[in-house]
Amino acid sequence: MAQDMQFANPKVGMEPAVPQDKIKVEINKLNFYYGASQALKEVSLPLYDRKVTAFIGPSGCGKSTLLRVLNRIYELYPGQRAEGEVMLDGKNILVKPNDVNILRANVGMVFQKPTPFPMTIFENVAFGIRLYEKLGKREMQERVEQALTRASLWNEVKDKLNESGLSLSGGQQQRLCIARSIATKPEVILLDEPCSALDPISTAKIEELIDELATDYTIVIVTHNMQQAARVSQLTAFMYLGTLVEFGNTEEMFTAPKDQRTMDYITGRFG
Amino acid sequence: MASTMNSTTATGIGGPSDKVAGGRRLHSANRLFRALSLGAAVLVLLTFVAMFGVLFEGAWPALHQFGFDFFFTEIWNPVKERFGILAPIGGTLITSFLAMLAAVPLGIGVAIFLTELCPRMLRRPIGIAIELLAGIPSIIYGIWGLFVFAPFFQANIQPWIIDVFADVPGLSMLFAGPPYGIGMFTASLILAIMILPLIASITRDVFETVPPMLKEAAYGLGCTTWEVIWNVVIPYTRTGIVGGAMLALGRALGETMAITFVIGNAHRLSTSLFAPGTTISAAIANEFSEAVGDLYISSLLAAGFFLFIITFVVLAAAQLMLRRLDKSTGGNRA
Amino acid sequence: MTQASSLYTGRRLRNQAFKLLSIIAALIGIGWLVLILSTLLINGIAAIKPSLFFEITPPPGEMGGLANAIVGSLIMVVLAVIVGTPIGIMTGTYLAEYGRHTKLAYILRSLNDILLSAPSIVIGLFIYTALVMSTGHFSAYAGIVSLAVIVIPVVVRTTENMLLLVPNSLREAAAALGAPSAYVIRHVTWKSARAGIITGVLLAVARISGETAPLLFTSLNNSFWSLDLSEPMASLPVVIFQFAMSPYEAWHELAWGGALIITVAVLGVSILARLLGAERK
Repeated sequence: MAQDMQFANPKVGMEPAVPQDKIKVEINKLNFYYGASQALKEVSLPLYDRKVTAFIGPSGCGKSTLLRVLNRIYELYPGQRAEGEVMLDGKNILVKPNDVNILRANVGMVFQKPTPFPMTIFENVAFGIRLYEKLGKREMQERVEQALTRASLWNEVKDKLNESGLSLSGGQQQRLCIARSIATKPEVILLDEPCSALDPISTAKIEELIDELATDYTIVIVTHNMQQAARVSQLTAFMYLGTLVEFGNTEEMFTAPKDQRTMDYITGRFG
Repeated sequence: MASTMNSTTATGIGGPSDKVAGGRRLHSANRLFRALSLGAAVLVLLTFVAMFGVLFEGAWPALHQFGFDFFFTEIWNPVKERFGILAPIGGTLITSFLAMLAAVPLGIGVAIFLTELCPRMLRRPIGIAIELLAGIPSIIYGIWGLFVFAPFFQANIQPWIIDVFADVPGLSMLFAGPPYGIGMFTASLILAIMILPLIASITRDVFETVPPMLKEAAYGLGCTTWEVIWNVVIPYTRTGIVGGAMLALGRALGETMAITFVIGNAHRLSTSLFAPGTTISAAIANEFSEAVGDLYISSLLAAGFFLFIITFVVLAAAQLMLRRLDKSTGGNRA
Repeated sequence: MTQASSLYTGRRLRNQAFKLLSIIAALIGIGWLVLILSTLLINGIAAIKPSLFFEITPPPGEMGGLANAIVGSLIMVVLAVIVGTPIGIMTGTYLAEYGRHTKLAYILRSLNDILLSAPSIVIGLFIYTALVMSTGHFSAYAGIVSLAVIVIPVVVRTTENMLLLVPNSLREAAAALGAPSAYVIRHVTWKSARAGIITGVLLAVARISGETAPLLFTSLNNSFWSLDLSEPMASLPVVIFQFAMSPYEAWHELAWGGALIITVAVLGVSILARLLGAERK
């Protein structure tokens, strides 16, 4: 019986969690394998347009794996493969003819540790723009400024755009990475525990930023910090052992979880 | 193209943009780069295969003419076109063996000195000096052997050694004959000096892979430095030390310039280490550009081919051991 | 009690003896090398005079310089590096970025490490048979190719090692922006590893600057000025070899001068490589 529970459809129900919203990404019966071992089992859930969705769950539950499917970054490594459907605006991104690089340009990602490239702050932001657009010097400057402003970093770096990206503090580096990500005008932004290497003040800044970005982007954040999930997300997916246990409105899930496991995790009984 | 530009610049941040055109450009560049990188890799592989094939082809006439006798006869007669490489093979093995005999203990001693005994202040400068010395071209060692060591050895040491051992049965044979200065013994010594920095620096690197905790644990039991090295450091790094020594042996077997100057280039095997001799590489260096006749050239190529094969085997074994060490320490680190 | 202390005394003595032995080993090893370098310095400096750099190699017994050999060495070393470096970097890139776990990469890695220590005289023989025999004459081209064959494995090894030090997170971050693998490699990975890769190239320069054996029967030697790459070309190591083995006093002096030049050049380049490598960390 318990076994059945694991594989049964999660308690998403038929009714959308936030009915009035448009679905941006629809994940359908997704299975994921690292070589022979299965990391995701029949995961299905929608991601709503211009909403923040948080993936939570204990370590190894597959929340990061799920995120890494959404821009197919897992493909960098041999032996990892995904089966099922991930529909972005109605098109399955897992199907081969889809250009993976264009997909990634449309689905931005920010990582656990800040990853500034070994170049100037300006070049860091311009890097992604240059890939797909030929801009004049002034247009490029505008775009970089826009992106840095959007990432609330402009005021701090406007006088040292030609310094190395590595010269910034950890929190600034992470915002630089967010700026770099939004500079390419993605539609979806994936955040993989973006604050886990940051101090509380930087964390607060990033959270504020996420809140603000949600007006334009579909955002998915993986976090092991439940307070953070509660603070920044409108929707939450709780994962456990590679399955999606519960998905729904964040407030509801944190106040009245439907599943015992969700309850246990949220109240700190495991994980 | 113009329309793409327009649509991308028109939408502000936040809107989707048309990235297909730029993507296509990148895509073909991507495939080209990958192909270039694979091409370079295949080229390196082919170079190696070609080296093997070309040398074998060049060696074939001699191998065909003389058969296995080629490796077991001492005759080297360009006039009558009779060739055998027993003397150079013997010379190569003897000089390398003697050089290793001297350089391995010394090299390990230097490495121990550097990792355990040296005052901390001197550790880096001496370590760097040793590494730099490992990169000095072998011709420098050769010229020093020829102009400085050989005359000194001939005048001051050799006669004395010959005298001392003259009446010792067995050893008198090894150290007999007129003091030429140059010869197998001198060549081995110069070779030893040349590979010493190599062995010392590899061994030091290998010693440094020993986790400090392991050493601390042994010291914590009250072990002396000697006991820690003998019971912990050396057992832990055994494969690495042997691998490093094999690497040095591979170098020694193929070393040309350090030896050619001082070995005397005589195609015979002598029981005396003071007698002139030759090695495979010295014979090739000395004779190849003046060799006339297809069989003469082919014999030298066959000698080179043989040298290639034995160094290949030794170096492959060295790598296997060093790689095993890599893996085991990698495991320990994880 | 006495037994224990005598046991300890024995251990201490053994320890002292061992320490002494290893200090002696270090003294012998380092002392010997100091001896070589100092005689090189004394004899070499005596030979350094303007004519060494401005006159060409003399006929037997006469005075002259090494100008043609110095220029020949420079030309061949520079061209060999220009030929070998791109191939080496691309191969190292294949090993670290594309092939990492493939069978081809495994084989290549092993062969490359063997090539790294393979006897250089065998490489000379190979190029002789492949290029000199087939074209019918010795040439600087053949010398350049054999030096390039020595450059490649050095550059491959360091490039691969340096690229492997670049954290995967950086590759992921660039790929996540939609950059295809080639773009990631050229603009991010190479850039991060740049100092290390340059160090590798410098090490290769140091390595081939003193190589004699592979030039003996490829570029041969030339007692005249020649910048023609299809002709034999003089090089410092080969001239040193020839002059040192000769019975002429004047040639010996030039050989010492050449040896000092090579040593200073090789040490200089190695130190530069080291400084660059240290800067990276």
